[in-house]
Amino acid sequence: MSSSILVYEPVAPCLTRPQKSRQALDNLAGKTIGFIDNSKPNFNYLVEDLSRVLMEKHGVKQIIKQRKRSASQGLSETLMNELVSQTDAIITGSGD
Amino acid sequence: MVSQSFIGLGRAQQKALGSPDLPMALIPHPFGTRSRDELKEIAAKCADDIARLLCEAAPADASTAAAVAPVAPRATLIEAPADLAELNKFYIKKRWGDGLIIAPPTKESVERMLRHTHRAPDDVVATIAPGMGAATVEYIAIQGVMAGCYPEYLPVLIAVAEAVGTPAFHLQAIQSTTNPSAPWLIVNGPIAKWLEVNSGAGCLGPGTWANATLGRALRLMLLNIGGAWPGEMDKATQGQPAKYTFCCAENEEANPWEPLHVERGFSRDANTVTVVGALGTWSMNMTAKKAEEVLAMIADTMQYPASSDYIYGGAPFILLSPQHANLFHREGWSKAEVKRRLWEASKIRAGRSKGSEFERMATGRRAELGEIGPDTLVPISETAEDISIIVAGGPGSHSVFVPVSAHTRSVTKEIVLTEGNAQGKG
Repeated sequence: MSSSILVYEPVAPCLTRPQKSRQALDNLAGKTIGFIDNSKPNFNYLVEDLSRVLMEKHGVKQIIKQRKRSASQGLSETLMNELVSQTDAIITGSGD
Repeated sequence: MVSQSFIGLGRAQQKALGSPDLPMALIPHPFGTRSRDELKEIAAKCADDIARLLCEAAPADASTAAAVAPVAPRATLIEAPADLAELNKFYIKKRWGDGLIIAPPTKESVERMLRHTHRAPDDVVATIAPGMGAATVEYIAIQGVMAGCYPEYLPVLIAVAEAVGTPAFHLQAIQSTTNPSAPWLIVNGPIAKWLEVNSGAGCLGPGTWANATLGRALRLMLLNIGGAWPGEMDKATQGQPAKYTFCCAENEEANPWEPLHVERGFSRDANTVTVVGALGTWSMNMTAKKAEEVLAMIADTMQYPASSDYIYGGAPFILLSPQHANLFHREGWSKAEVKRRLWEASKIRAGRSKGSEFERMATGRRAELGEIGPDTLVPISETAEDISIIVAGGPGSHSVFVPVSAHTRSVTKEIVLTEGNAQGKG
């Protein structure tokens, strides 16, 4: 570099937060799966169709659904804790 | 489950939420426009992916990621071209900017700015969503220098970072939405005069150093600290010009009522900055002799059914021209009275929203309004107090309606000055 100066790199780091490694299920037979419906258009129908396939083809015993008030808001802590206590895995969605 | 255009955002969220190994099943994008039959096909394939991912062990390197030590949040000096044009090419190539020319953030220029706070350079003021970057005092100063801010602006920028990092502001939604959300800065208190933040004619337009660079410094924070690069973590379909800069002061001298910061519990001589998740600016022009006429014009403008405000219950802003504000005041209306009348007059029939928008409104407002039918009258916000009114601008019969991004609430923070800049001129 013929003529240079020292300047700061402006991109700030993401401070590392406690990491949680996921826990795999051995199989889906007899399991309870939770869905958080993000309330985006069509997501409720996709959850309905997925529920049917997961139960018929993969042996899932039960599906529990919670619908958010809107996509940009999280599920309330109370409902989330309730869903966690009732299910083996929880699925939600992002996008359009 | 993530629609394909949101993969980048999904990966950033995995990291930001502390679960880098969280599995993602992909679905086609756009997804919301698919027919019922198409959805069944998508579900059949996605169910297999979900079944596989739920039973798949985490990648071997995930446990390594879990052991990473916290990163010291100090900025790094790097070598870059001294020539300004070449330096800018260097920054743009690395995507360290907003597309406009930047001032070089040298050690000297950043140190000059840091003299205007007692806080330590590595003090974390906020984490900036969606990348959850650490907005330390030093990183805030770097963005300020790059934006062209004078050193004495630093206390304002620190308060801005605190404000956007407040949970009620919901920066995650503002940064990652497909809406054209742009944070708007409103400066109140004596500091607006000291720093020459324009509150008068053309206050939302060009020509004032403080307005231009303060708003731009926030945009650089959102890009460089929050990681919201357009098309990646910033999912705005088009965005809007206000995403470059959007800042003004309230015209307190021309305001016949209490200014925004006093309404929010600060003393009149306090210095504050308010951040608003604005979706745009709608000019409302009327030369009127009666307050009722202006009120009807504003209420009509507020009523557009696709507004997030109506769908979820919002917190919109009205920026009144001094002319309109004083017309209301002359007829004996307080600011609270104007809000109450606007809230009543701007209710819409729910049936004006069609299809998925009606469904979203019915879901979004059910807790507040009960079951919603086509003839239900829907207010723009839960209460009249959720509407905010400020006075700004110069002579003229134009006021501005500012709809606000879903579930965001404006936040006001006090600007903490040091003795050195207590006169605003440090």
